[in-house]
Amino acid sequence: MSLTFSTSSRRARLALVGSLLVLVALVAGVLLGRATAPGGGQATPTATSAEAGFARDMQTHHSQAVDMAILIREATDDPEVRLLALDILTAQSQQMGQMYAWLVSWGVPQTSTEEPMAWMARPALDGGHDEHSEGHVPGERMPGLATPEQMSALAVAEGVEAERLFLELMTAHHIGGVEMAEAVLARTELPLVTNLAAGMVAIQDKEIDYMRELLAARQ
Amino acid sequence: MADGTSDDDTLTVKQQREKRRAEKVAALKKKQQAEKVRNRITVLGSVAAGAGVLSLIIAVVVTSATPPVDPSTIEVEGVQVIEGLDPIHVQTAVDYDQTPPAGGPHNPAWLNCGIYEEPVPNENAVHSLEHGAVWVTYDPAQLSDDEIDRLRDAMPSTYMILSPYDGLDAPVYASAWGFQVALDGVDDPRLNDFIVKYRQSPEVPEPGALCSQAVDGPGKIS
Repeated sequence: MSLTFSTSSRRARLALVGSLLVLVALVAGVLLGRATAPGGGQATPTATSAEAGFARDMQTHHSQAVDMAILIREATDDPEVRLLALDILTAQSQQMGQMYAWLVSWGVPQTSTEEPMAWMARPALDGGHDEHSEGHVPGERMPGLATPEQMSALAVAEGVEAERLFLELMTAHHIGGVEMAEAVLARTELPLVTNLAAGMVAIQDKEIDYMRELLAARQ
Repeated sequence: MADGTSDDDTLTVKQQREKRRAEKVAALKKKQQAEKVRNRITVLGSVAAGAGVLSLIIAVVVTSATPPVDPSTIEVEGVQVIEGLDPIHVQTAVDYDQTPPAGGPHNPAWLNCGIYEEPVPNENAVHSLEHGAVWVTYDPAQLSDDEIDRLRDAMPSTYMILSPYDGLDAPVYASAWGFQVALDGVDDPRLNDFIVKYRQSPEVPEPGALCSQAVDGPGKIS
């Protein structure tokens, strides 16, 4: 009786040690694999990753900002607003090109295989939901995006009225863009992505302040 | 001097026998113990070696893992590849080889992307294909209103044109610059595969160039 007991407890101990070793091997294997994978120790983002979701949705988001900038440049002669619009138009077009090329180099489609914003509804790297992704659901309208009615109103507005509408819409658009950029910063450590997203946060925050000044001067 | 021999001399025969037995038992136990340690080392060694091999295999798998939806690996059955398309700008009407067209000479003004409920001018839509749009056309005579609604709901919000096209030889066609597929209906799974593979594809001439701010066709609903 006591012999059987001692044998089975030894077996249990061996099984435990064995399982622990397998676990260590798994972790070591994954880390070793990641460290030696092409891309400087970072795995290539997959089609449904936060990085790919951000790269697609931010291209869509930026493309509306480019549209707004083109519309206001045609609707006003004001040099301050036209210059700001040219700045946004060229900067965001260039950033769209960067995000486009990320997706190509990662071998993932430009078109999402799931709904827009799905990446932002998933938990952040720390396991929680950062303040910017609170309440987001897949398929919803991206934050700060103007409605088709607002875009039509901007297309027909002229002069100071158009400037005011542009500044209001672009301020909301930038606030939403910053929210999306901060959401990806909470979900990736890939320098390629964090550098661009951090730049968006910094520049768009400054432009929000500037647009509020321009708007105040036009009330 | 108390050495072993002198000790033994003082013991009885029975005591001497018991002592020898005890020594034998001790030696046997020691041997068993050593064997046990050896066995354990062998077992742990094998487990560690196995674990090492396993971690190497996992490392290799992680390193060489390919993303699951690489567009270049998506096969769209029945897709027609049209080579040698001429991307020149013309102000005149163009007689295209394909119906609906899938690239070629086009109007300087691209068609603004979106959902249309009336047929759109070919020469403008072809310019949008050059900019990376996918143009989905359907024959309204072959689809129900409900099917048309489902088609509209399935379209991505940018770089897509959806419009009716009378007299098609299939209910639905999806076209990109240089690529086209005839589809059996709105539920044909190749529709989604085609859009994922070719919308904004690096294989078209100018992906990412504007698909807005030019001309609207008639009947644009969004």
